[in-house]
Amino acid sequence: MRLLTTTLALAALLPTALAGQARYSASFGLTGGTKLAQDRIFQDIQITQRLAPTVTLGASLPVSPRERAGLEIALGFGKTQVKEAGFPTVDGPSYKTLGFTAGVDGPLLGPLRYRFGAGLVKYLASHEGIFRQGAPLLLTLTLGTDCHIYTAGKVGVAARLRYDYQRFSTDELRSAGFARTQDVHRVGLGLAIEYTR
Amino acid sequence: MTRPNLLALAAALAAITGVACSDIVSPSRTQRYDWRLVVNYDSAGLPLADTLSFHWPRTHLPVKIWVEDQFGVPDHIREGIRLWRTAFLYGEWDGVVVSDSNTADVIVRTVQPPPLTIPASVPSCVGATDVDTVTTRFQLRVPIRVYVFPSIPGAPDLDQCLRTVSAHELGHSLGLFQHSTDSTDLMYGVPRIDALSDRDVGAALNAYHFKADMVPVRP
Repeated sequence: MRLLTTTLALAALLPTALAGQARYSASFGLTGGTKLAQDRIFQDIQITQRLAPTVTLGASLPVSPRERAGLEIALGFGKTQVKEAGFPTVDGPSYKTLGFTAGVDGPLLGPLRYRFGAGLVKYLASHEGIFRQGAPLLLTLTLGTDCHIYTAGKVGVAARLRYDYQRFSTDELRSAGFARTQDVHRVGLGLAIEYTR
Repeated sequence: MTRPNLLALAAALAAITGVACSDIVSPSRTQRYDWRLVVNYDSAGLPLADTLSFHWPRTHLPVKIWVEDQFGVPDHIREGIRLWRTAFLYGEWDGVVVSDSNTADVIVRTVQPPPLTIPASVPSCVGATDVDTVTTRFQLRVPIRVYVFPSIPGAPDLDQCLRTVSAHELGHSLGLFQHSTDSTDLMYGVPRIDALSDRDVGAALNAYHFKADMVPVRP
């Protein structure tokens, strides 16, 4: 929680730090992803993630006539599900994800802009299930595109598509004997409000 | 989009594609002992035995446990719940101590166990679990009755003994109906260790992912 508070406080300070042609954005959307882990005890077990409401704050500055560099902070509210053949699907632990990525964006085609970046994503969860020994901090790579659908002066609205990749594991999984990591791919769709100063 | 940008984007995609091809590898979990209940029955005059598995259905969780408040046994049962919870990764089992014995799935008494139960005997105390399969073999009558009793009141190791036996009997109540033959397991017939071994964890996980033959019924 302290990490979340600190990050949001830093984001709030960005407007004074990045004067000029800075662009700020806030978006809300849903993020879905592939399984977090898999197991086999007589039959296959999958730990999947439900669609997570996600709030993203961003700020960027121009670094060339066409490209901008910036930061995005994304807070997702996720929940796991345990799926096992022959057993009812049940809810697993809930978690939050706090992603912090630095990236570059630029024009792609017409109203579309691309974005790619890298950063960290911290899982925040109560100590239960696969998070019993704590939730991980993972490296993440992101790709995405924004489609500007409305602009009026300094304010605009954009549809936002984000993809990210991470290699997931937890201390609990490792201590239970799991080897390697699980590739996790997430895709998020959202609507962003942008303000260019 | 400029050519350098396209190249950068392509490089990022290639990097992600290149690394994104691995799944986590689960442990083998071959360390276990048999947990199933062997039930003798009569089939048209022919004596037969059936080997049956039980686990609490996930819709039934948390298992409600009522504990007689003597000798500090409620605290030992709570410790046992916390201990067994750690055996499970996916919330397959959970228990909670309740105050109303009428709604309990498991009743823990602090009296001398009756005969014909699964006993566990340690010098200072004894424990037992009564598993009643009714007449159909495929129905487990609840509440399951557990007994934890100080056989030598005031013994210096009584508290430790009650802790170990409480955790052991809780293991029976969650579906481990046989004793391990390895003295380093909590579910050994004469338990000496109040921690879960890899074999205890393996047996519990196997019990909860094996198709159950028995369902809990409340008369």
